[in-house]
Amino acid sequence: MSDEHILVLLSVLTSGLLVGTIFSVVAAGLSLIHGTILLPQAANGQVFLGAGLLFWLFGTEFDWPLWVSVPATFLIIAMIAFATEATILKRFYPLEDRNISYLIITLGIAQILSGVYTGTIGKISDTFQVTTPFPGFAMIEPVPIPNTRLVAFVLAAAVLGGLMAFLRLHRIGRALRAVFQNREAARLRGIDTLKIYRFAFLLGTMITTAGGILFALAFALDLTVGWTMSLITFSIMIVGGPGSVVGALCVGLVFGFTQAIVSVFADPTVSTFAYLLAMLAMLFIRPSGLFAK
Amino acid sequence: MRALIIAFVVATPLVAILSLRDGFFVFIIGIALIHMLWASGLNLLYGFTGLIPLTYAGIAGVSAYTTIHLVMAKGLSFWWALPIGSAVAAVLGLLLSLPAIRLRGFYFALSGMVIQSAITIAFVYFPAYTNGDTGIASVPRPTGFDGRGIASPYMELVLAAFVAATVAGVWLTMRTRFGHTLIAIREDEDLARAMGINVTLNRTAAFIISSFIAGIGGGLYAHYIGFASPRAYDVLISLNIWLMVAMGGRGTLIGPLLGALLLAPLPYLLVQYTWIKDVIYGVAILLVTMFLPQGIYGYVLKRGAKS
Repeated sequence: MSDEHILVLLSVLTSGLLVGTIFSVVAAGLSLIHGTILLPQAANGQVFLGAGLLFWLFGTEFDWPLWVSVPATFLIIAMIAFATEATILKRFYPLEDRNISYLIITLGIAQILSGVYTGTIGKISDTFQVTTPFPGFAMIEPVPIPNTRLVAFVLAAAVLGGLMAFLRLHRIGRALRAVFQNREAARLRGIDTLKIYRFAFLLGTMITTAGGILFALAFALDLTVGWTMSLITFSIMIVGGPGSVVGALCVGLVFGFTQAIVSVFADPTVSTFAYLLAMLAMLFIRPSGLFAK
Repeated sequence: MRALIIAFVVATPLVAILSLRDGFFVFIIGIALIHMLWASGLNLLYGFTGLIPLTYAGIAGVSAYTTIHLVMAKGLSFWWALPIGSAVAAVLGLLLSLPAIRLRGFYFALSGMVIQSAITIAFVYFPAYTNGDTGIASVPRPTGFDGRGIASPYMELVLAAFVAATVAGVWLTMRTRFGHTLIAIREDEDLARAMGINVTLNRTAAFIISSFIAGIGGGLYAHYIGFASPRAYDVLISLNIWLMVAMGGRGTLIGPLLGALLLAPLPYLLVQYTWIKDVIYGVAILLVTMFLPQGIYGYVLKRGAKS
């Protein structure tokens, strides 16, 4: 192998790792929500995109410093998520087969959000590139990596690690896991499932938001990313198994590398085809996913 | 109230077509008529079997591109191309009904969403037949007896005839044993199976018929507006045709027509602000799912039954 090949290989590996980790973060949020509440959040790609767009708006368009723009993004999305949970999602908790209603509802929310983005921020620009707060390159021999992407990767990994630790170690995290393992038993053991549902929805949405901000930091956004991300993360969730953060991590990384490798040879959309096929196959063979309990 | 709705649904298109004869509003009525056709077809599936086919627009799109290809590249008459395109759609519908054998409720809808997305991507990335994202422009109008494209308002009357035929077909289906079987399956699948009903076979038949209707609508739509692009047949369109059925009243004859008549014109009336349409449709989805699961006409029927 010549030096050039090694360079290509290494850059594919690093970008696959970064893309895969961000996929995993967003998919973990989705998986957490679906695993706990049986809520297939089809608007999750739009939440992801919204986080990126708000971050761009605050950080780049308004030129606010990081310590304001990031919390502002989280705060706005948390408020919307809270209001949505209290007014819409809550009504369906008593239904046994609520996931079909939720799929339709969240598709409706996705359509609203996508319309709002087109009508508001879409008027400003077509693509949204955040001015990096971390300029410069780090040399990881022999590939130069932009500092922003390095930061994005480290933070994404931290979010995943933090989430896993939270689910294993913290009292509420363990209660969450108890709910996705066995709703009834969890209720009998005195876990307030409704509170856990609300918490899971907010936590999942916040994780998705983090994914959106990190993605906006590392790559340019455009308004079609929302739908693509929904499809990709749904594939990851179904293949990895709803409720499984480890599943989201492993499958997310595989998908990330696939995307990076495919984009060397062909249009990255081809890899979307591959994800969809993987999800379809999994739906038929083992709807509970690879990493299900 | 019930009579009023029926009169509204039947009279609005006819009066508009016959009095205005041409122009933008007649065009919008034509659009609404095609959506009425689609909604009736989807109702056959969603209203009678309870399955939510999010592949519906994709099926219509395959028929549209097939019809366009046969007319524009092969020089076939539209009236030969349309049945062929619709037959292709029906076969595709047969294939897409396979997931329903194994998957229920949410998982079926999800598989539909996935397949629909794959179809849309295929439309964009196999441009030999579809011209990709750019779409195919100046698709000719269906030809009349004189060999030229049918002009307004006759074209709209043809569309109205298609809707009338479809509705009559659905009405007849509702009254046959097949229709009753489908309802039995929708209400309690296990019970139907226990009674010796072949659930898979009946459901597949509903899928094929519904897809055939989707195909007719797809071919008509492309040739009526003179344009076809992948975005006209993507997952949101499936969802929005579903909304027309759900908002109007699933499982009823008039409901889907009402839903289509109310919702389908919006994107054309709001040409400059299509994003508002997305917001309105999205809000309508939320409201219908939360407050009016039986739809407007279904609600009126229920009220009528009570008093």
